[in-house]
Order: sequence, then structure tokens, then C-alpha cells
Amino acid sequence: MLSSLRTGVQGLWRISSRSIQTTASRQHDSLFVHRDTPEDNPSIPFEFSQANQKRVEALLAIYPEGHKRGAMIPLLDLAQRQSGGWLPISAMHKVAEILNLPKMRVYEVATFYTMFIRRPIGKYHVQVCTTTPCWLRGSDAILNAIKQETNCEVGGNSPCGKFSVSEVECLGACVNAPMIQVNDDYYEDLSVEDTKEIISKLKKDEKPKPGPRSGRFASEPLGGLTSLTEEPTGPGFGVQDALKA
Amino acid sequence: MAARETVKSACKNVRPLVSADFCEARRRALGLYRAIYRYIPYIVKHFDIPKSEEDCRWKLREYFYRNACVTDIRVIDMLVIKGYMELKEMKHMWQQKGHVMAHWNPTLEPKPYDFIGKFLEGID
Amino acid sequence: MLRQPLSRALALTSPVRAAPLTARRFADQVQAQPEKVEVFIDDQPVHVVPGTTVLQAAAQVGVEIPRFCYHERLAVAGNCRMCLVEVEKSPKPVAACAMPVMKGMRVKTNSDLTRKAREGVMEFLLVNHPLDCPICDQGGECDLQDQSMAFGSDKSRFTDIHFSGKRAVEDKDVGPLIKTIMTRCIHCTRCIRFASEVAGVDDFGTTGRGTDMQVGTYVEKMFLSELSGNIIDLCPVGALTSKPYSFAARPWETRRVDSVDVLDPLGSNIVVATRTNEVLRILPRTNEEINEEWLADKSRFACDGLKRQRLVSPMLVDSRGNLTPVDWEDAIVATARALRDCPPDKLLAVAGDLADAESLVALKDLVNKLGSENTCTEQYFPLEGAGIDLRSSYLLNTKIANVEDADFVLLIGTNVRFEAPLLNARIRKSFIHKETDVALVGPKVDLTYEYMHAGDSASIVKDLATGTSSHAVARRLEQAKRPVVILGAEQLRGPEGAALLAYTQQLALKLHDKLADKSWKVLNVLQRTASQVAALDIGYKPGVGGALQGGPRVVYLLGADSGVVTREALPKDAFVIYQGHHGDVGAQIADVVLPGAAYTEKRATYVNAEGRAQQTLLAVSPPGKARDDWKIIRALSEVVGERLPYDNLDEVRARMSEISPALVAYGDVQDNNYFAQATALAQSLQKSLSGKLDVKLKQLEDYFMTDPISRASPTMAKCIQAVIKQKQSPY
Repeated sequence: MLSSLRTGVQGLWRISSRSIQTTASRQHDSLFVHRDTPEDNPSIPFEFSQANQKRVEALLAIYPEGHKRGAMIPLLDLAQRQSGGWLPISAMHKVAEILNLPKMRVYEVATFYTMFIRRPIGKYHVQVCTTTPCWLRGSDAILNAIKQETNCEVGGNSPCGKFSVSEVECLGACVNAPMIQVNDDYYEDLSVEDTKEIISKLKKDEKPKPGPRSGRFASEPLGGLTSLTEEPTGPGFGVQDALKA
Repeated sequence: MAARETVKSACKNVRPLVSADFCEARRRALGLYRAIYRYIPYIVKHFDIPKSEEDCRWKLREYFYRNACVTDIRVIDMLVIKGYMELKEMKHMWQQKGHVMAHWNPTLEPKPYDFIGKFLEGID
Repeated sequence: MLRQPLSRALALTSPVRAAPLTARRFADQVQAQPEKVEVFIDDQPVHVVPGTTVLQAAAQVGVEIPRFCYHERLAVAGNCRMCLVEVEKSPKPVAACAMPVMKGMRVKTNSDLTRKAREGVMEFLLVNHPLDCPICDQGGECDLQDQSMAFGSDKSRFTDIHFSGKRAVEDKDVGPLIKTIMTRCIHCTRCIRFASEVAGVDDFGTTGRGTDMQVGTYVEKMFLSELSGNIIDLCPVGALTSKPYSFAARPWETRRVDSVDVLDPLGSNIVVATRTNEVLRILPRTNEEINEEWLADKSRFACDGLKRQRLVSPMLVDSRGNLTPVDWEDAIVATARALRDCPPDKLLAVAGDLADAESLVALKDLVNKLGSENTCTEQYFPLEGAGIDLRSSYLLNTKIANVEDADFVLLIGTNVRFEAPLLNARIRKSFIHKETDVALVGPKVDLTYEYMHAGDSASIVKDLATGTSSHAVARRLEQAKRPVVILGAEQLRGPEGAALLAYTQQLALKLHDKLADKSWKVLNVLQRTASQVAALDIGYKPGVGGALQGGPRVVYLLGADSGVVTREALPKDAFVIYQGHHGDVGAQIADVVLPGAAYTEKRATYVNAEGRAQQTLLAVSPPGKARDDWKIIRALSEVVGERLPYDNLDEVRARMSEISPALVAYGDVQDNNYFAQATALAQSLQKSLSGKLDVKLKQLEDYFMTDPISRASPTMAKCIQAVIKQKQSPY
């Protein structure tokens, strides 16, 4: 009743022009400026480990002289993996030093890509897809279960420091919705129980089996194949007799 | 022809203002001088100006000597009339102290024209 | 390192730049003109070279296309979309700043589609731009304001303010010169491009993406550049504004006076904005031959030093030895008495760094009339050999603009970045756009671009000149088609100065002899101060060393504040007359102080390092009892009894033109010659060189305070503090 009144009143002063269409602008949950913290400041040294040093050289070798800055994203990824799933500022400085670039150019890249995480996160980064297909298949329940199990808010770290939970946009596994990604692994076709089991295993530092939980191998139809059920036909199949050799 | 024209214009009789001849004009001028001279003590007293009677007399002399070269009877008459007007204004207190003091120009300073004067004054 | 091909450096092909470039084309530089293509801008045909953008083609027929991100002197970004225009047979509007013209292209800059596109872009820009124009310092000179008036919609459809509102961005701290209000930023990225291309300090960038994108430094970092103030001018909105000028005045309230900067030897052209007899700010004025449209920070921000530490009244030493304010009459009489009673050979006049040509002429005339020949400047220059007789020995003969055409620049004992920031910007420009290489003999300093460091001992110059060097620099110099040698005048001070100059001259001559283009000048001497060239032209002796040995009885300091003349160096009973505008080093040792006018307070002539005479104009009147400098000397001469024969500025300038016509040829610079003769005269001076070259201004913090005006400026003091603080920060 009241809302219809409001709509009517709004209609009165909106008649002169069409209102500009905007979606609610949502700010990203991470900052795009750097703040020194005890965990993340430039005085903490960062060096690539022996093994990674070799990888750095291999990566740099891919790019021709004069275009070494192309190696920036792989190097940042390497640095992020080495420092536990997030990218400290000293790692960015190291990459800038390796590529002989101004630090700002590295900051630009590191802040542009959402998969570079610039705050300390837990050992397991649980990313819950909440885009439409997953949402329709019950990602809200999954998210709630994860929040309960890990005792962690979205965009934060769990008190034990083991988990970080974030809500992400489509991860491209809509066929197996709902799904979550933990570090590099996808866990698909989840139910609330599956999720709880995954989290409890992770708590014990066991690795749950990645992939669909519905018994599927990948993204094939759930009720068995509906096509490609027989041997593929050979060449010349269905061709007019007259055209057959 | 031209010479005759000049003579004619020179001899042309102009209508006198008050005085008929130079002597009469002179008499009127002296009359004005006397009138003001006699009134000077009252000026000093009534207007309470920081000038002595002597100063005022010198100022009066100065004004009359400034016009000493005037020979045109009509001009002399006019100046005399103006002088009487000034006197009347003072007598009736139509003028204030400031008007009287203005004869001495206390605030006016001469403008420098030489370089060093202008420099010290700060004038471009 | 950022090095772009010529085609991307649109700055160099813009119509503005094109004119002087064609005028300067050298014999071997004639290139086949590519065939021009015909395009139609609003049905007006125009012929342009292929590769011109639509925006430039439109500018040629006088059609101005609105833009935010495009700037003639920066690389094209094409991200603001304000320059969208309709092109016939193109399905969508195209960005004129990035679109090269094609044959027969028909551009409509005023069609319905174009107007609608502009209106739409404007609307999107304003969706996230705060409506705080009344409290914004850019108000009145804001591109966004102007263009939304001209091209924007007449009404707003923005009603969302109560729901999600506008984007808000936190402000950055980039030092004491630039105030940032980043919410106003429209992401044109001009500041980023300026910082990385012109200033050479890659500290700005965009962080984040989408609606979270912001322009900034990511980490808390000061913009450590000597050209930082220019991003204030570049910013089309009020995101970057001047901190010292914040909330001071609106542009329409100020009176603008064209003038010339004197705080570095280049004589950048400036506009002085004044109100109520007060200099509020200084902006650059475009002069393609000198400063393009940039201005160094000291020149721009030191103007608050004009209000502090000023000498406002003549002063005389009293019986207790303290300077006490007196009337001009007393001061002049006391000064004149001292001058008259002084034996001619014991009279010494020293001209300082900021002295103008008029007062230099007047002082020299006065001293000469009194029978003395002791007029000298604070900065040294060797008098042996050709000395200052040949103008080419002490000028930037290549000229500032031509340095862009050089293919090899050899810097000897100079940190151009801080001694002449805009010359350094030119060198950097040619380094980036034209593959010019730079070599430096002298201490290793940050010039914002890469250079070959040949070492810091003076003997390297000798080796290069005599051809005994096997250094890579020598080989590179051999191959250079248009080499430039720039010698810092600071190096000529020591006992080896003459020899260093002699060898540099020989090196330059050697290089010149090989050139195909004989009109190219190689030798450059970069003076340190704005007054030096004029003083040498007038006939002042460089350096006070010898004159001080004579034990002068009366010393006349014309703004001599660099501390060359000290009380210790003078006899006990010496009478020191100081004429100048700031209570600085000179005034401290003076027995009588005559307050003069600073460069914004007089019509005066300054000759820049190229030998180009330029004049400052009167923007504000001198404070208190201060007077024009030449007038003080003229008044003094009359009291001394040696009246100088000029009473007004025109007569002084007539006298100046008698001394040297170049002093009054305003804006003009002559080609210099007699390099061979100068070298021949200096032949005997070629002795062995053993010293090391060192420069005074090494770091950014050294740059900000070099003269009485900048030493009095609180802004410059803040800059030094901020730079030192930044140096301690880990970023």
C-alpha cells in the first residue's frame, strides 16, 4: 500500500525525463591502496625460493628481450603461490626488480586482477560461486554452511587462520552448480552435507577429492548420456545414394 | 583698410560694469582692501584659525598683488565684486573655518618634478 | 624504459609543434613529404599527412573537438571518449584523438549523433563526479565545467543520490605541492602519462578496475619530481590542485601579467596571477622555444617567498652596529658619502644572481664614472683566452629547442635536471622519442633517463678532446650527426676551469668540423643563474676572487646573496652597501641596505642562458619603500655628483642598446659564431686536468632552495622536508 503510494509519487516527478538506469554500485571488498600492516610491509624481505628461482628463469626465457614485462603476471602468480596464496607488497617489489620496471607498473597489474590477493589470507581460500546458476541451485545454503563451519565471514579470515571465504562471480562450472573453489580445486554438484564434509576434511588438512559430488565424471548429463550413445557413424553416412562413390 | 579696422576695434567703447574709468576702479579696489583689512581681526577671532592677524594681512596682500597687473576695468570690477562676496560670506559666517584656512592650502604639497624628488616620493 | 616510436609521439606532429620544427629543418634532414590525403571536416576539405588524427585534422580547419584525456604533448590514451565524432559510413562514433585519418573521410563534428555521443559521455562522467564546484579550486578554469556547459545535457537524470550515491575515492598524499581530491578524478590519465613520459618519475598509475579504479600511487609516496606542478595544469578537473594556492582566489578575480621567470637560467615564460597587490600564483606561458608549456616547481611555487623576508625600508647601521630603518634620504646620503670618499681602486661592485640588466648597466656606469673598473659577478667564468669577449663562449649556442634535434648529448659537469629542469625535459623528450643518447662526465646523478656515465674526472674531457680516449662515449661522439656538448658553468670555478673550457671548446670544434650541417652548434655552456649572461654581455668581470684580494673599502652588493662575499674576506673597515629585495646573506653583512624590487615588481630585462633577452613586467608594486633597482642607482648617482644620463626606462634601455643591441632585442636570439677563434685563443690554456667534476645540486632536496626568493619560501622549505622524509620511506 505504502510502496504503491511511493511509486505513484515518484511517478509524478519523473515524468519529464527517463531516469538513468544504474545498478547498485557495489564496491570491491579489497582496498586499492596499500596500507602498511605488520604482516604486509616493504620491510619484510621477499626472495624467490631456490625452486622458484628456476621457474622465474624459465618464465623469463619465454619472453623476448625488450618484452620481459610480459612475464609479470606469471611471476606475480608464482610469488603469490610461494607466499601462501596472497601477494605481499615486498613480493611485488621483487617482481618489479626482476623485470626492471617501475614499482607502480606492478601495482597496477596486481590490483587489476582479482586473483591476486593483496591481504593475508588463510591456508584454504574458499571461493563460493553465487552467480545465477549456482544461486538457483542453492549456493546460498552452501555459503551459509561454509560460514558456519569455518566461523568465517565473507571477505574475512577464520579465527583459526586456516580459512578465508569469498563470494565470487561465475567460475565457469555452471553445469555442475552449485560449486566452490578451494585454492586450485573445484568442488562441484555440492549439497550442504558435501560442503560440511569438505570443510571438516580441510580442517584436518586432508585433501578432499576434487570434482563433482553427484557421481558424475565431469559435466555429462546427470541421467546418463542423451546423445553420443552409440558408435559414431563413419564417413559417407546419410549421403544420397547417387552421390555415393 | 585693415589698419582702420584695428583702430576701430581698439577704440570700441565697451559698456562699463560699474566703474567708468581706471581711477574709479582703483578706488573701488582700495575700498575692498580696506574693508577686508579692517575685518581681519574679526576673522581671526570668529573663525578661531591658527593664524595671526599678520598672517592674514600678508595673505590679503598676496591676493591683491597677484592681480596687480590687471588693467581691464571690467575685470577689476568683477574681481572687486567677488572680493566683496567673499567678505560677506565670512561676515555672515556662511563660510566655515575650513574655507578660510583653505587660503593657506595646508594639505597641498608641491609635486616633485626632478628625478631624485620623484624617487624619494616613490612616484613613477 | 619507455621509448616510443616517433609515430606514437603525437606531440611532435601536432600542428603547434610542426611549425617550429619545419622552420628548423636542417640540410640533411629533408625528407620526402608523404602524399597528403584529403579529408572533410564538416564538409570543409583539408589536406593532411597520413597518420594525422581526426582531432588534429579538425584543429587545422579551426574546429575544436572537446577532449579530456588528449594532450598535445603526451601520448594518446583515448580513454575519456569525449572526442567522439561521427564519421560517415562508420557504424559507431569514433574517438577523434586516436583515429588516424583515411582518404576521403567525412567527419561530422556537429551532427546529432556526435552531439548525442558527447552528451552521453558527459552524463557518464558526471554520474561519478561530485557537484562540489563551489568549493573546488578548479572552478572557473575547469575543463569539465566548461565542456558540460558547452556539450552537456541541460538537465540531470541523476536521481540515485539517496541509494548508492556517487563513487568516493580516498585522497592521496603526493607531497606539499599538489593537493588531491581524488573523488573528482575522471580518469583521463594525463597525470600518469606526464609523470612517466615528461617527468620520468613512474609513480602514478591506475589501481583497481571498473568502478573501483582509481588514479594514484598505490603506496603512500610523494611525487618526487622537479616538474610536479605541471600535473596541476594538466588535470582537466579539480582532482589535482595547487596546495599553496588552495582556496586563495578564483581565476576571474586575478589579474594576469605576462612575465619571465628568473629562478633558473632558462628564463621560462610565466604568467603572474595577482590580486590586491599580491602575487597569488605563477603559471607557465607557452613558449615553444624555451619552456613549451611546462614550468619547473621552483619557478612555480617559490612565489610565496616574495612575501617573506622582504626588505621594505632602507636601513643604516647605527652606533651599536645594528641595522635600523631610516628614510631614503638618509640612506642615500650615507651611501653617497661612502662612495664619494672611497678611492676609486678600492671600490667594488658585485652583481648577484637575480640582478636585471637595467640595474647592471646603471651600476656599472656609476662605478665607472667614479673611476673604478671593479664590477664583477658572483659566478665565475675563466677570463683567460677569449674569456667573455666572444659571446659564444658562455652561451647555450645550440638553443634549448634545438636540443630536441640532437642525436647525442654530452653533459660535462652539470646536473641539468636541477640546474635547468626544462632543458632536461627536452633532452628526455628526445631521448624517448628520437633515440638520442646521452653521456655524462661528472658525478653520477639521476637524470630521469639512462645515460652513459663516462666517469667524473676532468681528464676525460681532455682525452675526448685530444682523441686519446677509447671510451664508448668517444666512439659514439665520432658517429654523431648532431652532437651537443653542454658544459656546466659551475665547473669553471676552480683553477682548472680555463683548461676545462679550453678542452671543451676544442672538443666541440672537432665535432663541428666533421658535421655535414655547419649551421649546427655544438658548444654549450650552461650558466647557473638568470643574471650571469646579461652581466657578462654588459662587461662585468666574472668572479670576485681577484677583486677581493685588493682589499676594497666600499663594496656594493647588487643582490649578491650567494655568499661569495663575506665579512671575513673584507677588510675590517670596509663599508658594505647591499641593494636587493630579500634579507638574505648579503643584507646580513651590510652597513646600508637599499631595498630593491623583485622580478615580479619591475619592468626589467633578463637574458637567459641562450642569450635571449626577455622582459618581466610589473605585476605588483614593490613592498614598502622598496624601489626599482636602476632608479636607486640613478638617484644615488645624482647625490654622489656623477649624474647618470637617464631618467626613465626608455633612456636606460637606449643606453643598454648602446652597450649591446642583443640586450633589448626581446624574444630574439642570435646565432653565435667565432667558435674556432675562441678555441684558438684558448689553445695555450690546455694544461693537464686532474680534478674531479662535482655538482652542487645532486638530489631533489638540493634543488628547491638556491636563491634568496626560494630560500624565503615556506613552500620550498616544506618541499625539502617532504623529500627528505620520502627518502627515508621504504617506497
